[in-house]
Amino acid sequence: MSSASGSPALTTAGFQVLLALASGHSHGYAVMGFVDQLTDGQVRLGPGTLYRTLARLVADELVSESEVSDPSAPHDARRRYYQLTPLGAQVVRDEAALLARLVDAAHTAGLLDGERRTT
Amino acid sequence: MTHQRPLGLGTHIFVSDADAAVAFYSEAFGAAELIRHCLPDGRVLFVELAVGPDKLLLSEEIKELNAVAPSTLGGSPVMLLLELEDVDTAFTHAVEMGATVEMPVAEMFWGERYGIVRDPFGHHWSLCTRREQLAPDEVADRVPPGPADGTWTG
Repeated sequence: MSSASGSPALTTAGFQVLLALASGHSHGYAVMGFVDQLTDGQVRLGPGTLYRTLARLVADELVSESEVSDPSAPHDARRRYYQLTPLGAQVVRDEAALLARLVDAAHTAGLLDGERRTT
Repeated sequence: MTHQRPLGLGTHIFVSDADAAVAFYSEAFGAAELIRHCLPDGRVLFVELAVGPDKLLLSEEIKELNAVAPSTLGGSPVMLLLELEDVDTAFTHAVEMGATVEMPVAEMFWGERYGIVRDPFGHHWSLCTRREQLAPDEVADRVPPGPADGTWTG
């Protein structure tokens, strides 16, 4: 199923990887570390999930492998470099805006009392 | 017995020719190969394909592992369901790629435009596009008397 705009639907892991890339983490290991740190270890992208998620985002043309990766290195998503495509940048922006609206509603509903409001 | 809430359900199909099947599912249904593992003798143990938001595992026929393809069994009792934005174009394309029409695309009483093909490897696929969001009661009111000639149309 795709979103109403016709762009590919993102999995939770897909959004987290796009978010990491948008935050300047271009290396597979850095993506894993960013998500781990951001979520205080609640979300751990293992190497299998990272590989599948990146392969999927590349297939959907949301992410491309950047040229700084070493083509002679064994194929390991953690050791390669990735970047958002223009479509990926748009999709992660749209998804973030949608999530922000949902989080605003969660604040209004009192679900986040005691949590730090970040907006 | 305690019941766990499953974390997911996937589909794993067996085919006579994994390379040809991956090529067909990629071209006809927009699948993307994510991972492939082969046996030392070169037979494909499994390929993991992403199809839309879901996962399809595919293995080459490996009789020692009871992985037997529909062509060996003489058919398959299972159907895979694929939802698309434009079922007509996908259906025509699948048939051009070598799939066999089992039920032409038509408007169905449950609110979908829907048709069935058999792929070149013997697996049945129903292809659909949602047209109306109907409540179960509305669908119940529309059920026709019975299928005719293998279809619900007419």
